[in-house]
Amino acid sequence: MTSKSLKSLVLYIGLIGGMLISMFPFYWLIVMSTRTTSDIYKFPPQLWFGSELWNNVSRVLQQIDFWGAFMNTLFVSGLVTVLVLFFDSLAGFAFAKFEFPGKKWLFVLLLATMMVPSQLSLVPSFVLMATFGWVGSFKALIIPGMVNAFGIFWIRQYATESIPNDLLDAGRIDGCNFFRLYWNVALPILRPAFAFLGAFTFIGVWNDYLWPLIVLTDARKYTLQIALSQLNGLYNTDYAMVIAGTLLAVIPLIVMFLFISRQFISDIAAGAVKD
Amino acid sequence: MWEQRALYVAISPFYILFAVFGLFPIGFSLYLAFHKWDGIGVMTYNGLNNFKYMLTDAEFWQAVGNTFMIWIYATIPMLFFALIIAFLLHAPFVKFRTLFRVGYFLPNVTSIVAVAIIFGALFANNYGFLNYLLQSVGLPVVEWLNAPWGIKVAISSMVVWRWTGYNAVIYLAGLQSIPQTLYEAAKIDGASGIQSFFRITIPMLRPVILFTVITSTIGGMQLFTEPQILVGNDGGAGAAGMTIVLYLYRESFINNYFGYGAAVGWGMFLIIALFSIVNWKLVQGKSS
Amino acid sequence: MIRRKRTCWTAILLVCVMLVSGCSIWPGQNDSSSNKKVALTLWYWNRSIDDKLIAKAKEKFPNIELTAQKIGGDFKAKLKTTLAARSGEPDIVALNDWIMELFPSEDRFYNLYDLGAGDVEDQYLDWKWKQGVTPGGQMIGFPMDTGPTALFYRADLFKEAGLPSEPEEVARQINNWDAYSAAGEKIKEKFGGKVFLTDNIGTVYNQVLSQGTERYFRPDGSFIGMDSPLVKQSWDTAVSFKQKGLLANADGWTPGWNAAMNNGEIASFVGAVWMKQVLQEAAPDTSGKWRVTRAPGGDGNNGGSFLSILKSSKHPKEAFEVIQWLQSPDNQLEQYKTLNLFPSAPGVFDTPAMKEEEPFFGGQATGPVFAESAQHVPEAFFGERYPSVHNIITRRLNDIAKQNANPEQVWPDTVHRVERELQR
Repeated sequence: MTSKSLKSLVLYIGLIGGMLISMFPFYWLIVMSTRTTSDIYKFPPQLWFGSELWNNVSRVLQQIDFWGAFMNTLFVSGLVTVLVLFFDSLAGFAFAKFEFPGKKWLFVLLLATMMVPSQLSLVPSFVLMATFGWVGSFKALIIPGMVNAFGIFWIRQYATESIPNDLLDAGRIDGCNFFRLYWNVALPILRPAFAFLGAFTFIGVWNDYLWPLIVLTDARKYTLQIALSQLNGLYNTDYAMVIAGTLLAVIPLIVMFLFISRQFISDIAAGAVKD
Repeated sequence: MWEQRALYVAISPFYILFAVFGLFPIGFSLYLAFHKWDGIGVMTYNGLNNFKYMLTDAEFWQAVGNTFMIWIYATIPMLFFALIIAFLLHAPFVKFRTLFRVGYFLPNVTSIVAVAIIFGALFANNYGFLNYLLQSVGLPVVEWLNAPWGIKVAISSMVVWRWTGYNAVIYLAGLQSIPQTLYEAAKIDGASGIQSFFRITIPMLRPVILFTVITSTIGGMQLFTEPQILVGNDGGAGAAGMTIVLYLYRESFINNYFGYGAAVGWGMFLIIALFSIVNWKLVQGKSS
Repeated sequence: MIRRKRTCWTAILLVCVMLVSGCSIWPGQNDSSSNKKVALTLWYWNRSIDDKLIAKAKEKFPNIELTAQKIGGDFKAKLKTTLAARSGEPDIVALNDWIMELFPSEDRFYNLYDLGAGDVEDQYLDWKWKQGVTPGGQMIGFPMDTGPTALFYRADLFKEAGLPSEPEEVARQINNWDAYSAAGEKIKEKFGGKVFLTDNIGTVYNQVLSQGTERYFRPDGSFIGMDSPLVKQSWDTAVSFKQKGLLANADGWTPGWNAAMNNGEIASFVGAVWMKQVLQEAAPDTSGKWRVTRAPGGDGNNGGSFLSILKSSKHPKEAFEVIQWLQSPDNQLEQYKTLNLFPSAPGVFDTPAMKEEEPFFGGQATGPVFAESAQHVPEAFFGERYPSVHNIITRRLNDIAKQNANPEQVWPDTVHRVERELQR
């Protein structure tokens, strides 16, 4: 009893300590965005909230169309996430649980594509978008991003261990084809992996910067990161505003993540109960 | 037969998109690597000169060295802490697991731009929080961003902060996918907790560990935005924050050597590929 | 379970419909360009042109549909990618002081002389005008603002250190780099190393260099050589400032620089007129304590931008009308009032708006100081490779300043790197 409670004490101290470190930069971000620029530069630093939040935020909102950009980002990120989940899990499941000629080499190729830095293909990719007439359109953000090697790799690693072969064999005996097995057997088991991959994809698209900057031409289609980058003029030193803008871009993501996480946790719990 | 056709259909979207959006850029950059091009004017054939220049450029090799250093500074603590957090969270009697998991994953939600701004303020020489901490315990302040090692520490700590929780969530998902029945069977066979840890947990977790090692290698080798925002296009004091991709970006978009940038991209591709294979063999081979 | 399945399928179906229909159900799709107006697109960055002036331009030219796009962040990367792809180019684009990098691609721009720029040439500063003309004689950039330099200094700190503090007096006594450096040593002594004379080594090098009549290249494109007296003098001055401990090692455009300014750790710097805006925002707590006077060593220029018309534009005539109007002397004056963008049209230097007293500078009217400087900027040829050579040198200087690298060893290495760069 005592050893168990000692164990759990150590465990909670570790978990809470780590969590505080993990949360501190957020706290710092919020503190800075409630301060004036000159407060931020004080030493010793200001550790508690100030009263400038609304001032800073309203300067941001004056300069950029925050809500328009927010809706654009939501749309693009949401759509890409749904597509990625579908296409990646289909391919990841196939790679994890089935044999077919050329599988090994196809998978190596897939991994190799992850090693090409995206900065390298910036110019040629843009040339391609221009050829297709997609410059300025959301298509340039959505279609090239709707399936990715990373997600396939992740689903494959997850599915390899978590989908029991007996279950697939049983399904086969029942006459299920590949897509039926995917839908009826793999999908329910992969759901925890989905929650993670979905959150990750969503965040990645939400925060993407260089590609949307280059591809989007019309201010009405700007995503949040691009809209915010407009605040950075060449001579801009309104640091408090930049920080408030940063906070504004992070908050929706945190809120949404908290929403997703509820689903994400109940799925895992459901999975545990099944066992 | 029909089943195999279905499999190819299932994996085809990636390869189709890759053929359209990946192959052309890659081919184009290969072509470019043998040319001299300022990005706007005419291209002229340059033979192997770009590669020769790369291999003899001190800054390129410095960038390679920096990238590996930062990768090591970041990856080892990151994966280590992630594993610990995952095990703690997996302990059966932990309450508020949801809360913890969300809390640990949250840093990953933040954009790199935001992270760089926050960490810039934490590590700032003259108003930073870390120097405040040092001073309040009576230690001398450190000019973090003017010292080569300080720059590397700052960049690595950004990576650690942002990705530890992410990896912990992956490990936790891996732990949870291990069927409970395996442990029960082991218990019946009289295995101790430690035995089942090494015989069941670690082998079952191997694909997931492999995944995190490979992705953090690829991510670490492609580090770009963190140093760019924290210390600028030249990599800060002594170019200590100059990573390979930052170098590639600077040579292409700042110095207008697009052909050379492409050659650097290929050099980098080879480095990552070799390094990933070594990693793969190491992690894969250890258990078998 | 079944219901969940159905929602899933519905979602996928919906997604497919959206994709096929090209996402047209989403707001932002516009079909308003079908009227007969001439459509022009303009790329600029925040505060390079006054947003209100752009709104006025739209009223001024009712036959032109002007779309002004404020491009954030990596302006240059976006411009270069677009130019490389030869697609989606704007009609008018703002270029910063890196305009010379685009000289080799002069054929991608309209020659503004062909569009009638010559008629207004005498209204603008000669040296500024020439910066927009390629060695081949094509004018690709129309003058926007300029960056005449002067000495910014903290009158209170100068006074405390026993130095002159009135602008005329400072200009008279501290009129060369040696006198300036000696002043720095007094400040260092007085404040026990807590206040530095100036911000960083790059500023010193840059400012000595920009007071000269050459950079690294001759107008025919040939390299002058690293043994050019001006380069050597700039280098040596910069290094001596480091060796005397006069540098705060605070790099421009970083929050660290802002903080050092706001906290009063830096007593002065030689900077361009647009630093006024930067300083006021970075260091609000030091308001009233700054003054501006003619720089030690002479006048110079840093930065300043241009407007260009890309060859892909279908309406160069209209585009030129817009440019000429936006940068007319009167409108430049307007933007000086709103954004502190210093005019390149000297005709407005004598107007009352340029002589207003500024509380941040303790009631001093700084306009005349910069106007004087602007008229004495030495003309210099830059050449397309100026930025790469200049960056190598300043990077190496930073190694000396921040890592205490030995200047005797750094210099030959710098020469070697520059030579290598030029052979590429």
